[in-house]
Amino acid sequence: MSSGYKPDILWSPHHADRYVICDTELSLYRIGPAGSSETKAGALPLSEETAATLLAINSDTPYMKCVAWYPKQEPECLLAVGQANGRVVLTSLGQSHNSKCKELVGKEFVPKHARQCNTLAWNPVDSNWLAAGLDKHRADFSVLIWDISSKFSPEAVPAEKVRLSGDVDSGLVVTKPLYELGQNDACLSLCWLPRDHQKLLLAGMHRNLAIFDLRNTSQKTFVNTKAIQGVTVDPHFQDRVASFFEGQVAIWDLRKFEKPVFTLTEQPKPLTKVAWCPTRMGLLATLTRDSNIIRLYDMQHTPMPFGDEVEPTIIERSVQPCSESIISSFAWHPSAQNRMVVVSPNRVMNDFTVFERISLAWSSTTALMWACGRHLYECTEDAGQGVAAAEKDIATKMRERAQSHYGHDTVQVWRNHVLAGGDDPQLRSLWYTLHYILHCSAAALQETIGPFKAYSVKVILECTTETRRCWSGSDRQTDVPWYHSEERSLALQLCGWISRGPDIDVEPFLKSLEQEGEWERAAAVALFNLDIRRAIQILNKGASAEKGDLNLNVVAMALSGYTDEKNSLWREMCSSLRLQLKKPYLCVMFAFLTSEPGAYDAVLYESRVAVRDRVAFACMFLNDAQLPRYIDKLANEMKEAGNLEGILLTGLTKDGVDLMESYVDQTGDVQTASFCMLKGSPGEVLKDPRVQCWIENYRNLLDAWRFWHKRAEFDIHRSKLDSSSKPLAQVFVSCNFCGKSISYSCSAMPHQGRGFSQYGVSGSPTKSKVTSCPGCRKPLPRCALCLMNMGTPVSSCPGTGKADEKADLTRDKKLAQFNNWFTWCHNCRHGGHAGHMLSWFRDHSECPVSACTCKCMQLDTTGNLVPSDSV
Amino acid sequence: MARLKNECSSSTVKRKVWSWSEGFPSQTFLGRCKFFSLTETPEDYTIIVDEDGFKELPESEYLSVAEATWLALNVVSGGGNATSSQPIGVTKIAKSVIAPLADHNISVFMLSTYQTDFILVRERDLPMVMHTLSSEFTLLRVVNGEAVAANSTGVTNGFVKPKLVPRPIIHPLSSPSNMFCVTSLDPDTLPSVATLLMDVMFYSGGAKETGGQSEDSGHIRFFSFSLIEGYISLVMDEQTTRRFPNNVLFTSASGELWKMVRIGGQPLGFDECGIVAQISEPLATADIPAYYISTFKFDHALVPEENIQSVIGALRTNESTGQ
Repeated sequence: MSSGYKPDILWSPHHADRYVICDTELSLYRIGPAGSSETKAGALPLSEETAATLLAINSDTPYMKCVAWYPKQEPECLLAVGQANGRVVLTSLGQSHNSKCKELVGKEFVPKHARQCNTLAWNPVDSNWLAAGLDKHRADFSVLIWDISSKFSPEAVPAEKVRLSGDVDSGLVVTKPLYELGQNDACLSLCWLPRDHQKLLLAGMHRNLAIFDLRNTSQKTFVNTKAIQGVTVDPHFQDRVASFFEGQVAIWDLRKFEKPVFTLTEQPKPLTKVAWCPTRMGLLATLTRDSNIIRLYDMQHTPMPFGDEVEPTIIERSVQPCSESIISSFAWHPSAQNRMVVVSPNRVMNDFTVFERISLAWSSTTALMWACGRHLYECTEDAGQGVAAAEKDIATKMRERAQSHYGHDTVQVWRNHVLAGGDDPQLRSLWYTLHYILHCSAAALQETIGPFKAYSVKVILECTTETRRCWSGSDRQTDVPWYHSEERSLALQLCGWISRGPDIDVEPFLKSLEQEGEWERAAAVALFNLDIRRAIQILNKGASAEKGDLNLNVVAMALSGYTDEKNSLWREMCSSLRLQLKKPYLCVMFAFLTSEPGAYDAVLYESRVAVRDRVAFACMFLNDAQLPRYIDKLANEMKEAGNLEGILLTGLTKDGVDLMESYVDQTGDVQTASFCMLKGSPGEVLKDPRVQCWIENYRNLLDAWRFWHKRAEFDIHRSKLDSSSKPLAQVFVSCNFCGKSISYSCSAMPHQGRGFSQYGVSGSPTKSKVTSCPGCRKPLPRCALCLMNMGTPVSSCPGTGKADEKADLTRDKKLAQFNNWFTWCHNCRHGGHAGHMLSWFRDHSECPVSACTCKCMQLDTTGNLVPSDSV
Repeated sequence: MARLKNECSSSTVKRKVWSWSEGFPSQTFLGRCKFFSLTETPEDYTIIVDEDGFKELPESEYLSVAEATWLALNVVSGGGNATSSQPIGVTKIAKSVIAPLADHNISVFMLSTYQTDFILVRERDLPMVMHTLSSEFTLLRVVNGEAVAANSTGVTNGFVKPKLVPRPIIHPLSSPSNMFCVTSLDPDTLPSVATLLMDVMFYSGGAKETGGQSEDSGHIRFFSFSLIEGYISLVMDEQTTRRFPNNVLFTSASGELWKMVRIGGQPLGFDECGIVAQISEPLATADIPAYYISTFKFDHALVPEENIQSVIGALRTNESTGQ
């Protein structure tokens, strides 16, 4: 026997722990957990957990070409073997000889002309039928369908002409097939169609696939293709068929059988096996010759039927079940998910589970969900007290901020950071910056100078030309050069150090810092203004304040020893010991005092010091060459880091959008981004697609959280700041008779509904006319409940008593305008006053019109949802 | 609908037809060629190989090569109705392919195998062949493995459509007494019977065979072996089959045997056309299945043994009407 046969593997269709390896003989294995009592010493390990035990060997059938396992439960372990000479033999493995099986085992089905049997397939329903695909013969059929229950018919062949090799007399030879199909062609592969068990899909050698219906064999569906090997039907999608040829797999939709719906990327070596996963939708495994990997194609999300114009979404990946060894064949486990056993040419077997891809999704609230195989996992933020220290998820933060009207304070812009919780230094800096920017630009607008809203330190300093060497020193004589110009003082205003006006007076700022207890910062600012006495005073105050830090006195003491002698002990000690100071502002104070004039890197690049203070410092002590360089450098740094403090430098310009982009990339905080950018100039910043994207995303988020009122508030806020975002009226009520919009006469009103309600409640002389179309004067439809023509104001809600009405007066007033709106069901077209409809559908689900059975309310998907933010 | 499989358009497999009387080198036997056929007749060995195989053959004075390159056409039933099981072989395509080609004066060379029938035509005749067959078949061209409809070749028919005249049989016929098997075997088992095959083909001539039976009793030496695209086909004397081990040869369940009709008294040459048609048309009319194997000098038709008398009868009638 030649050893050229590569082992193939077959799972039992009904016993999930049995499989057969076939090469020159058939070997039945049972798979079980490794190391269990059941497994004997001879068990072959298949994986860390499983091992296989050889149960039986059958070598009765030489010249094996293909094997098929009987699909029904009983008799189990009945196999059909196709041989090289075209005979199909029924055989069995490891069976105690029960009667039913005995009758069948050994039965042979012999074709008229001998040639190789290529493929076998049992009919899944009528399991007596066995289809055999044979090689070509010039005068014979290539597909024979045998009935395994048929008896040997001696009259079929004249006895004297029988030249068979012996066993004719045993009565086990059948020569007359039930059906014969496919003349003058070879059949390389075939399968029964699960949708209709009378239909058979054949792949012929002459580049065609054909579907035969056994009820009428003269008719067939036929298509030319080269993909004719290994046709196999997707068990989860019975119109989907895969067939292959050499390295290429074609996927067919039997409903559109003219051409493959798509072909998979061609592989360099010829394919040897293609099989759909029986436990997982749309997963196809392919194996090429002499390969150690199995390539998987996930078509789960490929739409069927499939359009021509789109690229199919197929996820391709490969698995390597047994590290280096070549795979001869594989078989999916019939029930365990994604599991397969692979066998190598030297019969080494390996149990293997394809790990399912993990898909993951965030909810709009904080929950996270992921799916793996058939399992679904959910992960939610722990709302318990234990996580107080941990930072909350941005979604939770945004929800809380939305509820606290974050972003809506347009007068005291800086207060927004308090609304945001007041615990985020970046937001604090951002809103203060915006506050100063808006403040300055408002002032600039009054004086009609400077560009609107584009204020930023960077922009301001770009136009700096003038440098004035100004007074230097306080009570002590120093020679620190201090720069001053109009632009620089404007920049200082933006930094919040000085307020508007010609004076350069930091005193108010120092006072406010003292109030907030930011002693170190106040002292530093005082020092940077060269007022060392004030600085010492502030530190003393800080030390004596409630909960004050007594160390501040020590610092004050150290400060008071300041000397400008270059080589003094004080200087030496300060410059070395300052690095051990924990508080950044104290640290930069000594850095400033010990630095050479013009070389303030220790101050400028102390990242723990607020950007605004560093910038203000730079504005005072850097010359015209150094300053823009420093500002540019710092701005780029901020942009890269997505640090909102950098907005001070960039302002609400394109640069600012870039900065915000990296902030959003890091935090996902579209809320802050939206509110912040809305303050920018409509032309330049708001048109930026990124900004529009943030705004839309924020609106969607609000909708997803059912914060509809918040969303409406946001829209109003937005339309105030950005008039281009105001939505146009998109829905019009047209007259039934003339087809003109009935809001025609009140076109001055921006919003239709409001127009009507105004007519309704105003009681104006034109009141009577609104019940008719302003175009043709025909009456408007009547409200289904009060039977008044629309346009008539709602008197009172039917069904509610007067007492209720009074109690509800304020609420009614609020709703009064809306009560008069038109509303109707899109399905039955009945409707009326919105208020009436609302109260009707509070108790009913059916249409108020008596003859109408429309379940209007149930058709309204959002009607039953309650907003999660109360008004 | 039937399909004409046109070998040349896909891979330009070209065949040479030639004859060679002795000294067959064994290394070419089962060479790498995709189309190989060897037929032994009392007169010579006829070998048909594709161009790749031809290159492997050594130059030899004993080798006479038929000039021109030939293309193998193969009729496959595509979407045709598969229910009619009779007649088979050459008979089936006699009316649709062979007769029209004969009508257009295209010379053909037939090779029937266990699996199918090949019609070899000269490469230069191809446009004419296509034109002729386009009236009967849907012509498909194989481009990158997928069949597409072939364009019209643009050949205008220079010939008027010939009238359907009875085709008389011109050449003398003879029918040897021995019976033949048409069979095949599993390519995997070929190595195990290779020596036997060589022996049968080349070294068992004369003495052994003639020892039992004399040549004059109408017994003829005839053996044909072909290996075409992986498929093996064998035609051999029934007695020769007994030399093969059991279960190696593919046999038909009914064990059918064939008798031969040999055509030609003088070597037929390659230019005369209509010879195949003369034989196959009457057989088709009588619904008798047949094999047809052309060799360098003569043509051979195989018919079922039980039909031989009626075949001879039918052909004789045609012969007489022709004269």
